[in-house]
Amino acid sequence: MHVTHELELFPDHRVTQMLFKEVKNAAELRQCAVEGKIKGALINPTMLVNPFQVLVAANKAVNLQKIGKMKTRSLYSEIIFNLSPTNNISEAFKRFGSSDGDDSVLVVLVHDKDEPQLLSDITARVSGRQVPAEDVSSLTDHAKIKKLYKITPQEEKCGTLLDAVVCRMASKDIL
Amino acid sequence: MTVVIGFEGSANKIGIGIIKDGEVLSNPRRTYITPPGQGFMPSDTARHHRAVILTVLKEALEQAGLKPADIDCVAYTKGPGMGAPLVTVALVARTVAQLWGKPLLGVNHCIGHIEMGRLITQANNPIVLYVSGGNTQVIAYSERRYRIFGETIDIAVGNCLDRFARVIKISNDPSPGYNIEQMAKKGSQYVELPYAVKGMDVSFSGILSYIEDASHKMLSSGQCAAEDLCFSLQETVFSMLVEITERAMAHCGSQEVLIVGGVGCNMRLQEMMGVMCKERGAKLFATDEQFCIDNGAMIAQAGWEMFRSGQVTELEDSWITQRYRTDEVEVTWRD
Amino acid sequence: MAQEKSMAIPEFLSKAELLKQGAEARVYRAEFLGKPTIVKERFPKRYRHPVLDEKLTHRRTVQEVRSILRCRRAGISAPVVYFVDYTSHCIFLEEIVGSSTVRDHIASTRQSDCSNELAWLAERVGQILAKMHEEDVVHGDLTTSNMLLRHQEDGESELFLIDFGLSYISALPEDKGVDLYVLEKAFLSTHPNTETLFERLLKSYAAASKKSSAVIKKLDEVRLRGRKRSMVG
Repeated sequence: MHVTHELELFPDHRVTQMLFKEVKNAAELRQCAVEGKIKGALINPTMLVNPFQVLVAANKAVNLQKIGKMKTRSLYSEIIFNLSPTNNISEAFKRFGSSDGDDSVLVVLVHDKDEPQLLSDITARVSGRQVPAEDVSSLTDHAKIKKLYKITPQEEKCGTLLDAVVCRMASKDIL
Repeated sequence: MTVVIGFEGSANKIGIGIIKDGEVLSNPRRTYITPPGQGFMPSDTARHHRAVILTVLKEALEQAGLKPADIDCVAYTKGPGMGAPLVTVALVARTVAQLWGKPLLGVNHCIGHIEMGRLITQANNPIVLYVSGGNTQVIAYSERRYRIFGETIDIAVGNCLDRFARVIKISNDPSPGYNIEQMAKKGSQYVELPYAVKGMDVSFSGILSYIEDASHKMLSSGQCAAEDLCFSLQETVFSMLVEITERAMAHCGSQEVLIVGGVGCNMRLQEMMGVMCKERGAKLFATDEQFCIDNGAMIAQAGWEMFRSGQVTELEDSWITQRYRTDEVEVTWRD
Repeated sequence: MAQEKSMAIPEFLSKAELLKQGAEARVYRAEFLGKPTIVKERFPKRYRHPVLDEKLTHRRTVQEVRSILRCRRAGISAPVVYFVDYTSHCIFLEEIVGSSTVRDHIASTRQSDCSNELAWLAERVGQILAKMHEEDVVHGDLTTSNMLLRHQEDGESELFLIDFGLSYISALPEDKGVDLYVLEKAFLSTHPNTETLFERLLKSYAAASKKSSAVIKKLDEVRLRGRKRSMVG
């Protein structure tokens, strides 16, 4: 169900993504994250095109953490911030973070080795149905993403929506 | 055995050299030096060349221990260069060729530099950086031409240095470039200047007008010393030259660099090029002022190659031209 | 926390496949986030003054990313940027799998003498460059090595522009004219006796955009400057 990817640049870091639908306790989960009971990022999956987008955000977050250049206070908030095309932090949380009324959530964990306990903790806390993380594509709100990332119709001729999104995420520091 | 005498006088040097099958028998030279702050004018330069050319010719023959009868061919610079000095030297070359009854050969000045560099350094098929007062080119050989991959799109690097020297009144003796090089060794403060690389091409006019403008202000306010400006100018323009040379090497897949032309004897340029080459596992070939700076032997050497491959210039074709691109010449002596 | 240089990227690159060392950067191939990736590392150039080196390296890394984004926005194919590290000056880019350089393509096609195909390619290049200049992107290092051609299953070919390190944004016809001049020299010196092919490229450039005629006029001026320059010494 979940996908785990070992970051090539940081071989002692793995990124795991778990997708849940029909979630009933989004507000409670958010509270847990704030209190640190969930060590992970809770992301609104409708703003995601593909799990690759999360990997790009997570890799950048880990890199900035290593060199002491994060813009936010934790690795998980940094992942959410990195998904956004702008440098506005509260805007990033509003758009890409999970909201109280959401009925789906993508949980991102960064860990050093396989930790089955970590995963089962998450499953235990979420009252919802876990689906394959790749299914995030079926939840994508294309119109909203195109608007938020300001993606032009011409641009889709030379690549996918994912390409356009990733390019903006990678280049936002120099805009 | 083939002996060629070469006449060069396209700028402010007048040189006559004799080459016998790759051996330099003689290579005397005179330089027309102008006062600080002044460049050399065509008519004055021609007058200088006229006054000394026969003395230099006599020296060349005496040092080589040869009589006119021993010469097989008379080579002269056809261009590019300044009109009046070119005419003066060509006239003498034509005259002696007829007096001695020897064939004439009009040689491209740039090709002279390249062939002399190849002879002296034994570089086989290098990327050539040709840098002088009138030229800045990155050249590679392919399909019977020396092809220009990169060059200046405005003024030559040597011209940029010379004109800067005039602005801050550096001596032209022995050459403005040499004096800038010596002063740069005492400079330490790096002043940021424009940097203009366009692919394998470069531009120096923006840098020159910037430093012309800034130098007066910076020197009078004591912000930096003239030595610092010499240092910074060299660091900037030489970085540009090394960069386009490296780009041409990467482009052509070449592992050899040959630096020729008057600016090529600058040791800082050679040092920087050497560092670049080492980083790429490539080899640098350079010559000293004897052969980097315009001289007669280089014209003799290119003439030797051309003559051996069957070329001669008929008397009625023995004119000169101020503009003569390196890639106009068909290289009949290389595969 | 004080900024420290992470060893992660150098270690990663030490295991990657070095494709080439250009004038500006080392180019590696590796798998990154599960995708075939090209890494461009602008390592310090020890021949130049450290202040100049740092300035150029940083500026070029930034310009490369900016221009790629600007081109892609306009529908010009260029590799996707996955990740940029400004401390080691590395850019991680999409690998254009199954592509070859236009340079190799011209070299191999000329041997088999498929003049129609090359004419098509020259026209395509002209159109793309006109579009790029319409966006005020000046590439700064146009050569046939910096264009990639990928043949697609439907028989069509896609043309990518790469290596934007020397690029900058300018609306001046002069800058765009120099851009074409740089290409012209690189083109004709790399591919001898292709003057008619390059003419074709320029014609298609001129036809593709309203802004083109001013640029072509400047190109003629720049060429003339080169020929007029006295070449003393």
